[in-house]
Amino acid sequence: MNRAPDIESKLPAGQFIGRILNRFGFRGRGLVIAIPTLWLLVFFLIPFLVVAKISLSEAAIARPPYLPIWEWSDGFLSFSFNFGNYMFLFEDPLYLSAYMESVKIAGVATIIALLLGYPMAYLIARSAPNTRNLLLMLVILPFWTSFLLRVYAWIGFLKSNGIINNFLMSMGVIDEPFVMLQTDFAVYVGIVYTYLPFMILPLYANLVKLDPSYLEAASDLGARPIVSFFTVTLPLSMSGIIAGCMLVFIPAVGEFVVPALLGGPDTLMIGSILWNEFFSNRDWPIASAVAIVMLFVLVVPIMLLRRAQAAEQEAAS
Amino acid sequence: MSHENATPDTQPWNDPKAVPFLQVKNVTKKFGTFTAVSDVSLDVYKGEIFCLLGGSGCGKSTLLRMLSGFEDVTSGQIIIDGQDQAGVAPYARQTNMMFQSYALFPHMTVEKNIAYGLKRDGLPRDEVAVRVSEMISLVQLDKFANRKPHQLSGGQQQRVALARSLVKKPKLLMLDEPLGALDKKLREETQFELMEIQENLGVTFVVVTHDQEEAMTLSSRIGVMTDGQIVQTGTPHEIYEYPANRFVADFIGSVNIFEGRIVEDEVDYVVVQSRETNTDIFVAHGVSGTVGQKVAIAVRPEKMTISKDPLPDMRNVIKGTIAEVAYMGNRSVYQVQLESGKRVRVAHPNRTRRGAHTLTWEDEVYVGWAGQAGVVVSQ
Repeated sequence: MNRAPDIESKLPAGQFIGRILNRFGFRGRGLVIAIPTLWLLVFFLIPFLVVAKISLSEAAIARPPYLPIWEWSDGFLSFSFNFGNYMFLFEDPLYLSAYMESVKIAGVATIIALLLGYPMAYLIARSAPNTRNLLLMLVILPFWTSFLLRVYAWIGFLKSNGIINNFLMSMGVIDEPFVMLQTDFAVYVGIVYTYLPFMILPLYANLVKLDPSYLEAASDLGARPIVSFFTVTLPLSMSGIIAGCMLVFIPAVGEFVVPALLGGPDTLMIGSILWNEFFSNRDWPIASAVAIVMLFVLVVPIMLLRRAQAAEQEAAS
Repeated sequence: MSHENATPDTQPWNDPKAVPFLQVKNVTKKFGTFTAVSDVSLDVYKGEIFCLLGGSGCGKSTLLRMLSGFEDVTSGQIIIDGQDQAGVAPYARQTNMMFQSYALFPHMTVEKNIAYGLKRDGLPRDEVAVRVSEMISLVQLDKFANRKPHQLSGGQQQRVALARSLVKKPKLLMLDEPLGALDKKLREETQFELMEIQENLGVTFVVVTHDQEEAMTLSSRIGVMTDGQIVQTGTPHEIYEYPANRFVADFIGSVNIFEGRIVEDEVDYVVVQSRETNTDIFVAHGVSGTVGQKVAIAVRPEKMTISKDPLPDMRNVIKGTIAEVAYMGNRSVYQVQLESGKRVRVAHPNRTRRGAHTLTWEDEVYVGWAGQAGVVVSQ
């Protein structure tokens, strides 16, 4: 008993530090959660609040180009929130149609990416472990080149005297070049191309875990391969499908580079509007309001989806 | 040997006119250069519970997977109810399988899991409902019909898996380690349930297991497998009492093996001289051997008697010292060190409460067994 302090001094360093931290009220579990919490706070919540603040202020020709939302004078602290920015967004049909267009383009691109990505992910998950690593590598490989360069490269493919048109004309398939660049088609190509890996990777991670004995059981019970795909594989990969679609849809709604480079003057995406407001018009308050509304456009469906999932899980138990 | 009272009704394998329901003819399965199943032939008759028993990697699961169609045979033939199964896909076979992991569809309720196979056959909705609810009552899961597999205990999941594989009334049901995931007590109960269901439905079962106790209680016959081959086929009694060779004797239950040479070879007995016992061993059955041939004699621990007093009425008696005592409740197992250094295991039933304490470590004891207790096994 009287040798207890001696034993404590022989503790491994990690445990020793742990004990000291405990004495000051820190718990290991708390620390582990604290780091990501702090990260989200500093790099997500605070910038969000700053943007929210700017969206409620008035534009001004000044530096920074907006007026403060509170003022201290003669012993009075006065706040002035300018909701005009938001009202303006709903008055001008430009913004509304840009939101709709963005959601539509992102939605269609997500579905195309799912239809392309699912068979690819399935094939990778079903191939031999060695081939699997190679194929995964090929999926990730484009990330090693700048995203901007890769989108520029598509211009070379799609333009009127680009590779595709030249090839088709030399084959005699067409007489006049297809107009592909600066159309919605080019925007779809760009977005699907850019975000396809984000669809494939979560789907792959899901499909590779699928226990092959489920498929054997289905086959044993009389299901042909196509039937067991729709009754077993597809429903069991639903969480991967949802994750992949989220990872494609969310950034695609706010996509700016692809419509700017590949889209035409008719392509109205909210990302381009945002860029114009910030950098061309230098109207920071309107730009911030556009960003905040976009956030709600994205967050609300995610919340609804999560609530539906939670309800489903609750109903099951 | 034990066939004298065989009746064709309960032992179709002894009836030369009976047609086997499942015929496995010289089946070999190779994975690359590795031979998983080597030239196996097997006949299983209607209504049997046939157990394939063997350690891991003996090829028993591969054989089962060939029967259900998940693996092709490299050579040989599988015939089920007169139909050659070559090239028949698993979904087209009239067999079902209960998987070792159960492989219950996690996204479906108990009801939907069981209905899955019937729906694939395109049966009308109300017939599916009737057959599913019949099956659910048979396996006593009425209260759990709307639960998902992860909300069930291991025993309940096992019953869902059984129900799902039985609901299509397969000609042949394959069970891969059906009771492996259950604890001992539940396993014993389920074994008897399984046998009852099998009797009521009259389905032919082929069971794969590594658990010899499971094989002994469940099966009508056992095929003992090792290295991709079936080394002995027989009733549990035949396998236990008349093991064909040393591997079978050793694998099924525990056994004492004495090695020696035949010194007397008569029609109805042999005498074997063994260095391990210092005395000659008398075995009351004839063997097809010659004097001087090396043999092994297998004696089960429970067929031996242990006592501090000499055992005058035993045909074989050896002296030794108790080296280990294991008290198992219903019996005690003694390890007795012989003068030659060999240890033998003797099981002694604890008929009285104090019986266990009369023999203890370091006691000088006599170990004896009757002439019929030992059996000569090939190496």
